Amino acid sequence: MDVLNFFLRSREAGKKLEQHRLRLYRIAYAWTHNPALADDLTQEALTKALQKGGQLRNPNAGKAWLYTILANCHRDHFRRNRETEEIDTTSLVHDSTPEKESGQQEIVHTVRNAIAKLSEGQRQVVTLVDIEGFSYVEVANILSVPIGTVMSRLCRARVALKGHLLNDMARGAAMQEAKIRRIK
Amino acid sequence: MSREKKFSDEFLNAFVDDQLETEEKGRAYLEIGQDEELNRRVCELRKLRELVRLSYENPPLPENGLSETVTTTRRVRFNIAAGLTLILGVMLGWLLHSSSGFYTDALAPPSQETGVSQAAPDTITVKASKTPARRPAETKLATAAPLSKPAVAPTGEQMKVLFHVSRSGKVYLKDALDEIEELLKFYNATGQRARVEVVINSDGLELVRADTSAFSKRILQLQEKYNNLTFAACRNTIDRLKRERGITAKLLPGVVVIDSGMAQIMRRQHQGWAYIEV
Repeated sequence: MDVLNFFLRSREAGKKLEQHRLRLYRIAYAWTHNPALADDLTQEALTKALQKGGQLRNPNAGKAWLYTILANCHRDHFRRNRETEEIDTTSLVHDSTPEKESGQQEIVHTVRNAIAKLSEGQRQVVTLVDIEGFSYVEVANILSVPIGTVMSRLCRARVALKGHLLNDMARGAAMQEAKIRRIK
Repeated sequence: MSREKKFSDEFLNAFVDDQLETEEKGRAYLEIGQDEELNRRVCELRKLRELVRLSYENPPLPENGLSETVTTTRRVRFNIAAGLTLILGVMLGWLLHSSSGFYTDALAPPSQETGVSQAAPDTITVKASKTPARRPAETKLATAAPLSKPAVAPTGEQMKVLFHVSRSGKVYLKDALDEIEELLKFYNATGQRARVEVVINSDGLELVRADTSAFSKRILQLQEKYNNLTFAACRNTIDRLKRERGITAKLLPGVVVIDSGMAQIMRRQHQGWAYIEV
């Protein structure tokens, strides 16, 4: 019966974890902008979460616990590749070009491009807060940094994003407005 | 404290992200509502937050889609399945080994220790708790097993008996078949597990030759009735018959051929089988 219970518990825990896969993947993708790597990190995080099943049954662990594991997997991944990449200065380059996108996709691309230019720490904080809606305390726990660091990184990240996005959009809107005036 | 310092970017971010205490938030609402510049900054931050959220709502998936199951589960299941398969394999092997039989033993090379001198039979008398119509207990048994070993096996142990048929003659062969059948009946009646092997060589080959046997139907019936009964004919005898008399022996269905009748008797005795010369 113990073996049966083990199977049932394992199966149930696996199902619960699977519900978080897409959300974990979304954050992992926002951090890496690499679908294959994001999938690997998500899989690794879920695997580790299942291995630590005892902690999973702790109701206080919550979903933040999963993102802590994901953050550790992400950090470990870049530690393994330290020779070629420096974690906190890594800026990602989006491989798509605006010409490939259209309409709303162009905005999406622009935002992702701006996120990719942030430092690793800023990117992690801003995505955890904006995409998953974590509180500053939760983000501090997930990333194992002081809450003051979370606030300052978030502040700098949004200043940088504002510089990249809002100014560009304002310019675009002005150009569009100018074109319309010319037609008239 | 100036308004500029009081509403730093960090403070406004915390306001937008709903991270302020209730009292602080209420005060911020009042101040922001009265200040157009603060209101604009708050709107920008909210807009940025929405843009980031929307931009990752549908992230591109890997070419082969997301992984589907958590690896550990699969690995644990695989390990347990492998373990169960191993256990099943060991059990099956053990069962096959214990119930194997004749073919394996017959093909095995004869042991060097099974010389004739070592097979000097000790004669014992079978004592059965239940008496059949014609008691096989009266049969003279010769076995390599020690005298103290009971002929009737303890519960669960398999009895292994070898009958040696080496002569011809209708009466003799009929008696031999009677002995064999009665012993099988006895084991059946007493619920004992038993294997009976009839080794046929020399003139006894007449019993299982399709062209000469007067008991072909009876042998077939015995084989059908008792699946623990085996008739084994000596290859040397068959070859000799062909060589000396030019007769190609065609055996009855279900009769197996062993390399040498004598070697088979030695092997069986070495394996603890009881030997009965009819």
